[in-house]
Amino acid sequence: MHAFAGWLQETPFSHTIQDVSWIIPLLQSIHIVMIGVVFVSSLMIALRVLGRMRVDEPFPAVWQRFAPWMWTGLCVMAVTGLTLVAGEPIREFTALSFWIKMALVALGVTSTALYGRSLRNLAVAGVPAQFPATAKLASVLIVVLWLAIIFLGRAIAYDREVWGTLSLHA
Amino acid sequence: MDFPSIIQSIQASAPAEWMRTSVKAMPFVESLHVLAAATLFGTVFIVDLRLLGFPDTRRSFSVISREMLRLTWAAFFVALVAGALMFAANAHTYVGNTAFRLKMLALVAAGVNMTIFQGVTARTVSAWDRDVRPPLAARVAGALSVLLWICVIFFARWIGFTKGYDFSIPQDTHINFQF
Repeated sequence: MHAFAGWLQETPFSHTIQDVSWIIPLLQSIHIVMIGVVFVSSLMIALRVLGRMRVDEPFPAVWQRFAPWMWTGLCVMAVTGLTLVAGEPIREFTALSFWIKMALVALGVTSTALYGRSLRNLAVAGVPAQFPATAKLASVLIVVLWLAIIFLGRAIAYDREVWGTLSLHA
Repeated sequence: MDFPSIIQSIQASAPAEWMRTSVKAMPFVESLHVLAAATLFGTVFIVDLRLLGFPDTRRSFSVISREMLRLTWAAFFVALVAGALMFAANAHTYVGNTAFRLKMLALVAAGVNMTIFQGVTARTVSAWDRDVRPPLAARVAGALSVLLWICVIFFARWIGFTKGYDFSIPQDTHINFQF
């Protein structure tokens, strides 16, 4: 993995990202703007399931309003995120936060897709006035998962401070 | 008390000292700041999009605005407290930092835009509340709001790259990839 990071860091593509001073801050800024779009979209869907937001709208309508923004935002973040990794592979690969974040992102995307599908089926089948407790619990868990992902993203810059002896920098 | 001595006393305060000396303070406070800023932007963006007449056109502007209000202000408050802590830790560096100054300028501009919108355009809201395309003044306010908040985020991220931090790992560092 270290060899791969070293190789990636020496590619012309990576060199361009490293050498042009505004590329990394620009990519990180776009990444943060997209976090806002994705996190709040996910939060709105969760609050609808919890019965705290847009209860007058049917669930599929709320899903349709926010899901496309969520998926598009995630795609943009995948592009900016992968480019950032290509630009600073050693910084990312040597951070424990990075690896946990990647695992949680995979989990977050998969569970959101499954959760969205089952909730829409539920809504179409019976248009429940109240979602079952499991759906509410899943909503809370997904929001917590995104919170953890956002935290870990920022923690990449502080691996040793956050993880102490567990840090891969040590 | 003049400006430099105010900055001096902020930097010498107990919270500032805590931010500088506690190993975990900066990463946690900074993450909280990013999280709150993202939530703030995301909720403001929903309201601005409605002003621009884009999605959500079956829902009236005032309903969407009211729904987002508490979340937006809560996020703003958290971002403000976390941001103030980060500022206090290195107050001297921040006040002289161009990216920080531009960020504050964009922040003030976003506030002025919001105040003008609330004070002038929103007074006639009953006339256009359900319109798919709100009046020009409302659309301009929405567009300005999105642009200014994006500027705030961009300048904010720039600060971290102008203070002279170096994230690269020194050449002779042994990196252990075993968990």
